[in-house]
Amino acid sequence: MTTRDPGSPGPDMPERDYKTIAAEYSLGLLEGEELMAARARMLNDPDFAWRKGWWDDWFVPLSDDIPGSEPGDHIWQAISARLAQAQASAARGEAPANIAALGEARAARKSAQRWRWIAAASSVAAALAVAVLIARPGTTPISETPGGPPLAQASSAPLMASMPVGETLRLAITYLPDQSEMLVSASGLSADGVHDHELWLAPKDGSALQSLGVVVPGEERRVPLSGEVTRNIANGAQLLLTREPLGGKPEGVDAGPVVAEAQLTAV
Amino acid sequence: MADSSDDPAAIAREQLRAAMARLAAGDSAALEEIYSATRVKLFGICLRILGDQKEAEDALQDVYINLWQRADRYDPQRASPISWLATFARNRAIDRLRTGKVRGGAVPVDEAAPLPDEAPLADSLLIDAEREAQIHKCLETLDEKAQTYIRAAFFGGRTYAQLAETADVPLGTMKSWIRRGLIRLRACLEASEKGEDAA
Repeated sequence: MTTRDPGSPGPDMPERDYKTIAAEYSLGLLEGEELMAARARMLNDPDFAWRKGWWDDWFVPLSDDIPGSEPGDHIWQAISARLAQAQASAARGEAPANIAALGEARAARKSAQRWRWIAAASSVAAALAVAVLIARPGTTPISETPGGPPLAQASSAPLMASMPVGETLRLAITYLPDQSEMLVSASGLSADGVHDHELWLAPKDGSALQSLGVVVPGEERRVPLSGEVTRNIANGAQLLLTREPLGGKPEGVDAGPVVAEAQLTAV
Repeated sequence: MADSSDDPAAIAREQLRAAMARLAAGDSAALEEIYSATRVKLFGICLRILGDQKEAEDALQDVYINLWQRADRYDPQRASPISWLATFARNRAIDRLRTGKVRGGAVPVDEAAPLPDEAPLADSLLIDAEREAQIHKCLETLDEKAQTYIRAAFFGGRTYAQLAETADVPLGTMKSWIRRGLIRLRACLEASEKGEDAA
């Protein structure tokens, strides 16, 4: 019995294994932290992902009961305009369409040139060694993580992740265990004025995601980490990026969609 | 599984599958063909989940743009193309609901049954009659409450909390009803998979 329902679990609450959680996720019943955890699990638990697909495949025929509806000609016009725009950008070697969808296209175009470690399918580790050096200068912390003595650390060597955001941009993340902090470099991104992006650690044990703060576009920042967080950091730890309202995920509100993911790996 | 070449459903499915393959291979023109074949069905799904014309229109645009970017994720071995697209559209609409921009759940639970036809069902692109019959059959074996609220979740994109509020029961009660139902539903569906030949 591992449910943590605020609403009286009680003896009547049926056992809830991952197969049931996959069904809840497939139906869209989950919200908040549970939804975040399920999204993370899709990325790092193949059994869970398979089972979610299994439920999707069984539920989807129900949608034959939903009457169709004609969307109107302007919708295709809008789609083909966006498509043409994205293709034109692609042809000029610019930001991919999904960056444009985030409203970051203009900045991405400029920053693509000054992005200093475009790994472009090359060695992430080698590319990121550069990131450490240039990310060193101190900057303001982006999250107020509670202090507390660091617990036994799962990793004692620096770990790095290169999180692809679109096809040419990457978020560079470096974990420095001896300083219990994370360097998050988002120098290739720019704000769209409508969304922020929040970085999360997805603990291996499937427990709730831990916020690593809101990513500040265009900057390299240091994030001090509490022992609560660092004990979950090890080689292979999963990081997620979600799209949120400005200021990050509000308290008590559902987290936004996962837009990127990466794993921390030893250098 | 009718493979007869004069079965309109089989032809439509194969045409769609071919268009998806071309799109995955980088032929953007295939998107228009996919759009004309599937827009009515997918817009119906977005509209139902989001309960708002403008939101559904935005969602539909996102669905096809995303499809263009990610057509290579479609595995022709696994699901029929229209099932895959319908799941894709529903997931996008739910994501949109959960980002908090949309109030959603515009359709009350009591009315979570199919709406009257506003447009013809998406041509001959029905998903899979056998599996459709099976999921309905299994749903019907559940307690009435589980059945009602699982359907409400599917058709209305409702969360546990929203369903509990509408039903005016504690959250734990709603979770208990639905989870019990989901466990039985899985057993029924798995049994049907094992006895596919018999069924």
